[in-house]
Amino acid sequence: MPLSVSLSIEGDTTVIELTGELDAKTAPDFHRTIEKAAGHGTQTVEIRMAGVGYMASAGLRSLVFAQQKVANDVTIKVVGAIEPVSRTIRTAGLDRSIVLADE
Amino acid sequence: MVELARKSCVLEVPATVGALGEIASFVLRLAGAAGLDKGAAYRLRLAVDELATNVVMHGYRGGGGRITVRGRSGPDGVQIVIEDTAPPFDPVEGRLPPAPGVPPEDRRIGGLGIHLALTSVDEFGYAHRDGRNISTLTVKAEGTDRCPPRP
Repeated sequence: MPLSVSLSIEGDTTVIELTGELDAKTAPDFHRTIEKAAGHGTQTVEIRMAGVGYMASAGLRSLVFAQQKVANDVTIKVVGAIEPVSRTIRTAGLDRSIVLADE
Repeated sequence: MVELARKSCVLEVPATVGALGEIASFVLRLAGAAGLDKGAAYRLRLAVDELATNVVMHGYRGGGGRITVRGRSGPDGVQIVIEDTAPPFDPVEGRLPPAPGVPPEDRRIGGLGIHLALTSVDEFGYAHRDGRNISTLTVKAEGTDRCPPRP
């Protein structure tokens, strides 16, 4: 099941927008985009996930990878995740280091 | 005991990441047939996906193999049985609960996938018989959410 990933810069924020399903098959696309985003040197990486209807632990692995790639003072924000997706992020304890926002 | 159809539906696929979508569609069809609500269907899909992904990535270690998924649905819920012939692996033993004290970059996400799977279903059983790993997962139509948000 496909995942579309887009990358843009809005001021001091790098925006990654995801639509579709994030699982072991599609997560590598997200991974590659994170690598590009990390190179932009912005203060915030905002991952818009309102269009993600499903996320498996492969998506968590990508979020952990994002944390590893960016500098310590860069904020990673996950925006608009549906409830089961944000619950998966909380279950992994990633909400301690990633900001979960409604919008 | 969950009331289920006598006859099970069977899906047999190669153990590849490309087959995970097919497994998900199969599981969601059974969830629909049982009338599971969106949350329960999501939990069932997540659990089967994580266990199947684990078989693909770690069980067969990229060496190829097959995964058989059997499913039965009824008014009370859905039961899925996942079988593979990879080396014996009991998911309950391989589970890795989140370790809040460990920095994210040092965590093993693989074991966490199994933790997600086991906390997403109402019942889980594992057996190793005739050279096969057999995992049985049940999500009840009126089941409780086993994976509530942490405070």
